[in-house]
Amino acid sequence: MIKITSLQKYYRTEEVETVALNNLTIHVKEGEFVAVMGPSGCGKSTLLNIVGLLDDLDEGSYLFNNIEVAKFNERKRSDLRKHNIGFVFQSFNLIDELTVFENVELPLVYTNVPAAERKRRVEEVLEKVQIMHRRNHFPQQLSGGQQQRVAVARAVVNTPKLILADEPTGNLDSNNGNEVMQLLTELNEAGTTIVMVTHSEHDARFADRVIRMLDGQVIMETTTA
Amino acid sequence: MIKNYIKLAWRNLRSQKLFSIIKIGGFAFGISICLLIVLFVKHELSYDKFYPDSDQIYRIVGVANRDNVILKGIAMPAPAGPTLKEEFPAIEAMGRMLSNPLFGAGSNQLSTHENPENFSDNGFTYVDQSFLDIFSPQAIYGSLAHALDKPNTVVITQSTAKKYFKRDPTGKIIYLNNDKDRPYTITAVIADVPSNSHLYGFNFFMTLSGIDFYPGEQQNWIASNYSTYLKLKKGTDIEPLAKQLTKSYIQDHYVPAILQAGMQVNPILSTAKLVLQPLAEIHLYSSDIQNYKLETQKRGDIKTVWVFSGIAGFILLIAAINFINLSTTNATSRAKEVGIRKTIGSNRRALISQFITESLLYSMISVFAGIAISFLLLPVFNDLADKTLSIPWNEWYFVPAAIAIALIIGLLSGIYPAIYLSGFKPISVLKGKISSRSGTSTFRNGLVVFQFVTSIILIIGTLIVNQQMTFILSKDVGFNKDQVLVLHGTNTLGSQTRTFKSELGSIPSVNNVTISDYLPVMIDGSKRNGNTFWLEGKQIEEAGKGGQFWIVDKDYLQTFGLTLIAGRNFNMDVASDSAAVIVNKKMIVELGLKDPIGARITNGTTYTIIGVVDDFIFGSLREEGLQPLCLAIGGSNSLTSVKISSDNIDLTIKDITAIWDKFSPNQKIQYSFLDEGFAALYNDVRRTQNIFTSFAIIAIFIACLGLFGLAAYTTTQRTKEIGVRKVLGASISAIVKLLSKDFVRLVFVAIVIASPIAWWAMNKWLEDFAYRIDIEWWTFALAGSAAVVVALLTVSWQAIRAALANPVDSLRDE
Repeated sequence: MIKITSLQKYYRTEEVETVALNNLTIHVKEGEFVAVMGPSGCGKSTLLNIVGLLDDLDEGSYLFNNIEVAKFNERKRSDLRKHNIGFVFQSFNLIDELTVFENVELPLVYTNVPAAERKRRVEEVLEKVQIMHRRNHFPQQLSGGQQQRVAVARAVVNTPKLILADEPTGNLDSNNGNEVMQLLTELNEAGTTIVMVTHSEHDARFADRVIRMLDGQVIMETTTA
Repeated sequence: MIKNYIKLAWRNLRSQKLFSIIKIGGFAFGISICLLIVLFVKHELSYDKFYPDSDQIYRIVGVANRDNVILKGIAMPAPAGPTLKEEFPAIEAMGRMLSNPLFGAGSNQLSTHENPENFSDNGFTYVDQSFLDIFSPQAIYGSLAHALDKPNTVVITQSTAKKYFKRDPTGKIIYLNNDKDRPYTITAVIADVPSNSHLYGFNFFMTLSGIDFYPGEQQNWIASNYSTYLKLKKGTDIEPLAKQLTKSYIQDHYVPAILQAGMQVNPILSTAKLVLQPLAEIHLYSSDIQNYKLETQKRGDIKTVWVFSGIAGFILLIAAINFINLSTTNATSRAKEVGIRKTIGSNRRALISQFITESLLYSMISVFAGIAISFLLLPVFNDLADKTLSIPWNEWYFVPAAIAIALIIGLLSGIYPAIYLSGFKPISVLKGKISSRSGTSTFRNGLVVFQFVTSIILIIGTLIVNQQMTFILSKDVGFNKDQVLVLHGTNTLGSQTRTFKSELGSIPSVNNVTISDYLPVMIDGSKRNGNTFWLEGKQIEEAGKGGQFWIVDKDYLQTFGLTLIAGRNFNMDVASDSAAVIVNKKMIVELGLKDPIGARITNGTTYTIIGVVDDFIFGSLREEGLQPLCLAIGGSNSLTSVKISSDNIDLTIKDITAIWDKFSPNQKIQYSFLDEGFAALYNDVRRTQNIFTSFAIIAIFIACLGLFGLAAYTTTQRTKEIGVRKVLGASISAIVKLLSKDFVRLVFVAIVIASPIAWWAMNKWLEDFAYRIDIEWWTFALAGSAAVVVALLTVSWQAIRAALANPVDSLRDE
């Protein structure tokens, strides 16, 4: 599904150029659950942003379902994103002014799903993450775990082929964290490809494969049983 | 989608109450002021356009050039109109109006056949029947076709009719100034003259039919007193006609008349010409035409219309700038939302639509709130602008126009924030890396500077207009205008006037009494005239000097405190004083008299100079130069001026009233104070002063709203910095200083830009005054300090709040 070859990414300031990702090659097969680990600043979040088409790459190739997307413009990327990729962030990133229902509904709004269909699908997914009873609350009225469940619901409502999770349990206690990991595992078992950045060895165990990075390079790949 | 946008916009509006209030409130306020000014401008531009065939109606204006000063006048000789109409077939109709108080126009004492009590009323004017034909007002009672054909007929307005008569007054008789020999018959009642007519204020249209104010007056080409209106045939070429009219008037009639009278032709006549002024331009394009109260309506000025339109545009611009500013400064709080939406799949266009929808919602609310505010402010504004405007609720265009304006303003002011906000990179904002780009902060700072430049200019303007007004009111005009009570309508006492005067003089607190219609202050009822003076025997060789000839009595000098610098006052025991005059210093300078006392001057009648008074300013302080003046003994009885002592004025007025009631039991006493009349001459300056003050307050208020919003934003943005600084030991005052410094610097930049502009503009304004103040440096310092203080107060509220906050909170917040 994802074929990234010889990826180079630099961060430039006025005086210095820092290599964020250096000659990186990664392949992710459809239906895989991959965890990316490494110390702070090793480039794992940058990688995730590039995979999610939130950031440009400077050199190299990126095939998404065998289509070269490295040179896509903003409109094409946004199009590809909304139909194929769901995001889960460490800090949830829910819109404070929208209710739970409306937050989850948003991706469907942007893909022009009719209102009745939207309602059905949002309720279905809220049911699945067990937050239906909070559908009319605003994000600040929920606990961290509940907020992350909403964020997961939002990420999957459009049934994306790929979910990108950036430290999804980073802001949660272990109970809530486990619930979220359980959710992701279920999604993966249902066929969704997942790429997850994490600091937690515990969370990494849920993945099929762990990629370890250091200084913008992959240093080790291990397959969990 | 739209529903989603509106819902979100509404929630945003509610969750950020302070911001929303500032945003909508400031915008609504700006719109309301703008709307009021638009109403004013619309009214000014609508003058006289409603008359049927208004595009065919013209007024004759005489233009001449004296030493490179353009002189314009509308007074034409009595026979000019009728003669030109005879000579030029292009003239379809001609109508004259005589509104000079010298001939009984202006204000008069009116009584009816049924009620002998006299009431002072104004708005009297003389017109031809053909004047009614040209303007064709709407008849309420009677027919206008021949209303003024016969001598001693009058047409009055509806509200005047209501004032004096219960029913249809046609056929009723009125008397003016108790003159029973000349009863006026009301032949028709017309609708009140609309407020957007240059004839507004005239209520009594007396006929010119059968009138000869003095023998031969109607055939006199030398005396000019008539405003002359022409209705031209459709398609008449104006320029060539005006040239032909000039030639006929000057060469065929005026010059022969001058020569026949044995006088010299004034050399400026070679520069003179007649111009045809379109009816629709009379109101706004006549400020340079000389006029001694020939119109009751206050003239407008196209310059005022421009200035007002400019101010309206400015205020709207400032309000819109605030709107834009507040939207972009609020960006960080929206950045996360933009990031999430983009990540989820929103494209930039969808975000732009979202923000523009929000902006439209805000502007809709603002426009309707603005209309409501202007409704509330309208009475104050009417007072300020001396108008009777109303909001055109019932006009078909009102609601569509309001919506259109809301849409346009919403779009224009929403587009920049929309583009700015939607341009955020999702990954940067989600990581909290969004910071105000330096380019946009320059833009925002520029906007703040612009607002303060405007405010400071208006503050300086306010200060200077104030200083000029104080200067005018306290200027030594060379006569005493304080504690002078002017009794109006004393001519109705007839032969008893002299006895009345001596009884007034017997009141202990009355210092002096004088009877004369020619007061040093041009108040209502006071008169002026135009005369030409020569040294005796010089009429043939010299052009003569223009000046005033006032009929006074022997107590005139004492009552008004005029200073006699040579010779003596009038003496009733000296029989020859009936042919004696007292002149002002200007007269002896103009006539080149080295030894004035005993010299003989003539204006047709020859007089001997017995005294010279020091110059005093009896014109407007606007106009340069004093006119030569000649005082002579005689009877001009409608105004009696009483100089009273300053203590117990109420009691003195009571005593004066008692005497009046004895002499004139049927009529209430009417009086005014001379100093109030003097101040009223400068009502327009007072109005300018009020308008400047109001606009300055509004501008600074709106600018402060903007600054307040900006300060709130900056403070929020620097919350973490403030926290860190406090942890490291910064004092509250250091924090306040840190946060205020940048804003104060902006205000200083504004002062530097505003001062020269204000200096230039106010010098232009002052040029209209012959007697004016010098602009002092401290005016600018004061205005600048005021702006700095206001800006500091605005900003420091935010700064102090931030500085007092617990640093741990702000750090944890990050």
